[in-house]
Amino acid sequence: MTNNPNVALSVKDLKTYFYTNSRCNKAVNGVSFEIEKGKTLCIVGESGCGKSVTASTIMQLLPKLSRIEQGEITYHSDAGDISIEELEPNGRKMRSIRGSEIAMIFQDPMTALNPVYTIGFQIGESLKYHTDLDRKQIRTKTIELLRNMGISLPEMRIDDYPHTFSGGMRQRAMIAMAMSCNPKILIADEPTTALDVTIQSQIFELMEKLKTDHGTAIMLITHDMGVVAELADNVAVMYMGNIVEAGTVDQVLRNPVHPYTRALLDSIPVLGMGKDQIIEPIPGSTPDPYNRPIGCQFAPRCSYAVDACDVMPDESYIDKTHRVMCWRYQELLPNAKK
Amino acid sequence: MLVYVIRRIFVLIPMLVVISFLVYLGLELTPGDAVSSLINPEVASRITPEQLQALRESYGLNDPFLVRYVIWLGNIFQGNFGHSLAGGVPIATIFLDRLPATLELSFVALLFSTIIGCILGTISALRRGSPTDNFLTVFGMLGVSVPEFLFGLSVMLIFALNLGWLPAGGRLMPGYETIWDRAPHIVLPAMVLSLMMTAGVMRYSRSSMLDALTRDFIITARSKGLPEWRINLLHGFRVALTPVVVLIGFRLPLLIGGSVIIEQVFQWPGIGNEFITAVRGSDYPLVMMIALFSVFAVLMASLIIDVLTALIDPRVRLN
Repeated sequence: MTNNPNVALSVKDLKTYFYTNSRCNKAVNGVSFEIEKGKTLCIVGESGCGKSVTASTIMQLLPKLSRIEQGEITYHSDAGDISIEELEPNGRKMRSIRGSEIAMIFQDPMTALNPVYTIGFQIGESLKYHTDLDRKQIRTKTIELLRNMGISLPEMRIDDYPHTFSGGMRQRAMIAMAMSCNPKILIADEPTTALDVTIQSQIFELMEKLKTDHGTAIMLITHDMGVVAELADNVAVMYMGNIVEAGTVDQVLRNPVHPYTRALLDSIPVLGMGKDQIIEPIPGSTPDPYNRPIGCQFAPRCSYAVDACDVMPDESYIDKTHRVMCWRYQELLPNAKK
Repeated sequence: MLVYVIRRIFVLIPMLVVISFLVYLGLELTPGDAVSSLINPEVASRITPEQLQALRESYGLNDPFLVRYVIWLGNIFQGNFGHSLAGGVPIATIFLDRLPATLELSFVALLFSTIIGCILGTISALRRGSPTDNFLTVFGMLGVSVPEFLFGLSVMLIFALNLGWLPAGGRLMPGYETIWDRAPHIVLPAMVLSLMMTAGVMRYSRSSMLDALTRDFIITARSKGLPEWRINLLHGFRVALTPVVVLIGFRLPLLIGGSVIIEQVFQWPGIGNEFITAVRGSDYPLVMMIALFSVFAVLMASLIIDVLTALIDPRVRLN
């Protein structure tokens, strides 16, 4: 890991386990990455691979039955580094970071807003707790935020309740809420999954604008490769709690090395390729998290699997930014270019 | 909102008429009439059928059913609620006499159970699985399942008869009418009635609160860095309140109808107690009026619930 001054958040060997019925689910099992200022890191992977848990861990929003087992989450604030994993989850320090330094937007804007309070009240809450603004200033600022998010007539809509907003507008309001205190890092957990495609592109345009205007570091969780190609600067591919491959968007999408990344890309239909394109589904299904393969988690489904895969491979760096967790990456490297 | 309330009140009138008809019909179908219950059986054997007929005629009981009903209903609309058969006291007087006692007891119980029930339910939900929660769960189960009269008689036995701390029944003693003389009388009935209702409100607000706390907006609130008390009370409890308000609303008729069993057990001179006396004495006019008033209370309560729900939940629109 480098000492790049542009890094806003670095996660090192993070492990988050869930404990249910005295069984342990290693939902995040040793994950390392960095989020840079003004850049978007996309975390991709299928359902249950640990994307959302990683996001909740950074925000310390984990449910009661889970805990950070090991690892470091370092937030590089203006006032020095803060080790998030050492903070009390709902303590004063963590609360002062949440919402003001690191903010989050969620998958379903329909349920993420409280139905009994106005949009203005809910955005104002962040400002009330993280800034010194008085009531009037909060209102002015909230109206300005809503206007910046492209909500028409914000002076009137500020006093409306969430149920009078459409899905796209609610997500805009959510983003307004998240951006109210100019956070250094924005974590977006599948922000457009519940929205239709036209609204999706508007929301992404908005996030792109925030990134360039405010230099916000964005961590975008998605399973949509199209979104990744369009928005990401860096990509991390997760499978069963590990980042199996990470690098810049060009490295991962154009020269995928890990068999899982390749399989994932092969399984996606490409618009414009016609009906004759070959779509290869990944054979098998994700293993039971309570009954995992011993070594490489992908080995049972992998067409390149060999005996060595019974041992968990290390992270290997192909170059400074591109890394992969596979024993056979050097063999796979030459034919990586498709 | 105002238009809605006014319209609802107008809708109440035909409903009341229909229900009054059913009440009237129900009593018409029971064997015997006012005259037969009015006359002492010993006297009845010495009265000639002609005299009985004359008596019926004088009460208007020989008129067709519908005519009698319309006259009765017309009288009610004019504010003439009729007379009790026992003693011929105007029913309005009985109501004015008994209502304060019922209001006093029901109001204390309603207020107490709402406040304590909500607080305990919230604590129980926030400390789910803790000893406090388990204790309150047991208490809640007992509260909703033990019959009122059994509970009432038990506390009476303990606090009034064995310990002698509090009077066993009644509302006040003649000549002792300051608030300090009266307060001890209400403690036991109010305690029994409140505990029963508190248990219900508590169980209900607990589950409603638990439900609210699992909703997505709680995580949103937490992600904004709000303190826990604000998340629990402003975001959790506020949303959990709606179903609890409905439950409490359904108890509002108690304010007028009174709790029949508790009032009977503690000889509390309220409407509920009067109702029992009236039923035992076949005092038809009184039974009908109390039934009608209870129905009216239920209808009004449902209107109040609707208005309250609209006030606390912006998604509900009254149109």
